[in-house]
Amino acid sequence: MPQSGDMTALRPEPLPVVVEGVWKRFGSSDVVRDLSFEIRPAELLGFLGPNGAGKTTTMRMILDIIRPDRGLIRVFGSAPGVSNSPRIGYLPEERGLYRDVPVIDTLTYFGVLKGLPRREAHGRAERLLEEVGLGSVMHRRANELSRGMQQKAQVVATVLHEPDLLILDEPFQGLDPVNAEMLRGVVLAQRDRGAAVVMSTHRMEEAEALCDRILLIDDGRRLLYGRLSDVRASFSDGAVIAAGDGIPERLDGVTSASVVHRADGAVRFVLREGATARDLFRELAARDVSVDRFEVAAPSLDEIFIKVVEGAR
Amino acid sequence: MTTFGLVQLVARREYLRTVRRRGYLLGTLLIPLGAAAIVLLAQLFNPTDDPSQRDPAVYLVNESAVELEPDPRSPRVLLIDRATGNELVTSGEAQEVYVVPADYTATGLVDRVVRGWRGTEIERLTRQAIQQQRLAEYLRRALIGNRLPDEEVERLVAPITVIEVGLDGEPAPPADFGTFLLPYAFALLFLVSLFITSGYLLQSVTEEKETRAVEIVVSSVPAVPLMTGKVLGLGGAGLTQVAVWVLSALALPYWAGAAIPGLSRLPVQPVILVLAVAYFVLGYAVYSGIYAAIGALAPGTREAQQYAGFLAMPAALPLIATAAFLTDTQQPLVIGLALFPFTAPAAMLQILALEETIPWPLVGASLVSLAVAAVLVTFASARVFRATVLLYGKRPGIGEIVGAVLARG
Repeated sequence: MPQSGDMTALRPEPLPVVVEGVWKRFGSSDVVRDLSFEIRPAELLGFLGPNGAGKTTTMRMILDIIRPDRGLIRVFGSAPGVSNSPRIGYLPEERGLYRDVPVIDTLTYFGVLKGLPRREAHGRAERLLEEVGLGSVMHRRANELSRGMQQKAQVVATVLHEPDLLILDEPFQGLDPVNAEMLRGVVLAQRDRGAAVVMSTHRMEEAEALCDRILLIDDGRRLLYGRLSDVRASFSDGAVIAAGDGIPERLDGVTSASVVHRADGAVRFVLREGATARDLFRELAARDVSVDRFEVAAPSLDEIFIKVVEGAR
Repeated sequence: MTTFGLVQLVARREYLRTVRRRGYLLGTLLIPLGAAAIVLLAQLFNPTDDPSQRDPAVYLVNESAVELEPDPRSPRVLLIDRATGNELVTSGEAQEVYVVPADYTATGLVDRVVRGWRGTEIERLTRQAIQQQRLAEYLRRALIGNRLPDEEVERLVAPITVIEVGLDGEPAPPADFGTFLLPYAFALLFLVSLFITSGYLLQSVTEEKETRAVEIVVSSVPAVPLMTGKVLGLGGAGLTQVAVWVLSALALPYWAGAAIPGLSRLPVQPVILVLAVAYFVLGYAVYSGIYAAIGALAPGTREAQQYAGFLAMPAALPLIATAAFLTDTQQPLVIGLALFPFTAPAAMLQILALEETIPWPLVGASLVSLAVAAVLVTFASARVFRATVLLYGKRPGIGEIVGAVLARG
């Protein structure tokens, strides 16, 4: 029988976030309804939904800024609260730095609030500000910096203490392409070092490019939840896109497809019932064709978003 | 980090951030420095250390038939001839010379020969009053000195000296100036500090709200430690400012060479001092909690200041109603103000100043009322703060506020 110490060592680390059947009401309207999901380590969960869907409210409940009326939230295995704060980095939608305080001082303060010793917080803030190109302005007050610089500083404040859970509320909002690229790098680096990342966004191309899983909510309800590839596949109409020389543009003996038509420089095959993309590929390969591109056609996340949200209303 | 550690961290940061602000430093230092500069300028142009200003001589020229001789009881009255008098005034050695003219006995008029006055009007009037009193005493003695016994001459010169006695006929003790002054000073200090510190609290909360930094802060620090830290840190900054002003006000007269007589020997009952501090601290706790909640509730800085000004009025009510306190400290209005937590500090400090013995039952009841209010206000305002601070630009309704205060958990 293993010793108690061994049992502890074998016990799995609790998930960063587990949300089960959570409800939240403001006034007479339910802004979050029976919402359930989880956030896993070293993954990036895209939290999608139209304005007012309940994304920010849910994030604030995970942070214990507001409390749910019903349901259960566990953060690293315990109830949300200040005890988890040192493991969480939060980038709110409404960014904020103290206007009349040097940026380095604000970041040091935020680092100390997250449990870092003052000297270490200061050192880390200096290093990270240097890394994002703000080394020369770190002693300036926030109101003396450009908006882009302030956003970079805010990102530094979020990751300063190397959190295990990053909660990013609309992180790409208002960013120019250069800063957006910088943020993409930061987010992926955090995920790659093992942090769980949940990111709300309106920008579907960002979600498609970055997220491992997505959670789509509207009117407080969960509409979609799962791996991005699974979600896209589930919305696929079974079509295959093929491009190259000699690709037939009519059925012309192609048995695995029921419809063929040319679109955007490629040929779109709608597969027959029971046929697979592999069957079609074999058929094409048997012909004298050169295939440059062959992929299962799936709707974009934008299309899925519109389809699901409109379908739910 | 422990709750105490969070409180300490927030308090330290709020204190340092406030006391390093240019506006704070200017406000704290400019007032005493300005007062010092005024005194310095006054000294430069009107040197008050000139003994002749405090103990002026009376140069007297006698042209009347009254026989005037030097009198040891009036050593500062100096008899001179007209030529010497003119010379003294012309050379500036004397500011003025008094001349008793030939028709003095018929008219009672005495000439004051001056060349021009270089001091302030107050100094001129003070000097003139001292000189005229000395001259009048000297002339009375001279006019009647040869006709009455010395004792009667003295009674004519100084007819009465009033002394205060108690019912037992013993001299009454001197007025307990400090015991009366200190509570009043604390009452005023309380109000001054309240308004100053409320300004800092409002500024801090509304600024965090307007810059949205509050969302990051409240995700790391629970509402009660955050509020407590703010109240302590900003209260400390406010008190530091008031302390600098008070110490400057006390030091300035000494530095200026015009110490307030007896101020350093104030007879203060230690228990009064302790009670004054207790009322100050509890009163501050009540009002600071309210101001922090106002900062969270108000949609902007301007609205916050308006609400704060309105809610600060109860604190000043006892000072406005001072007449009632002076009339009768047992009347219902006074007792009511002493027990109502928002008016208790200023009311009780006045009662302590006016009562000969400390009314312990009233003191106890008002302290309990204040302490209970301080605890309730702190928790209620922390809940209001938590529930409303993220409602950017929106004014929550009464129902939302009450709901936040009464919410579970």
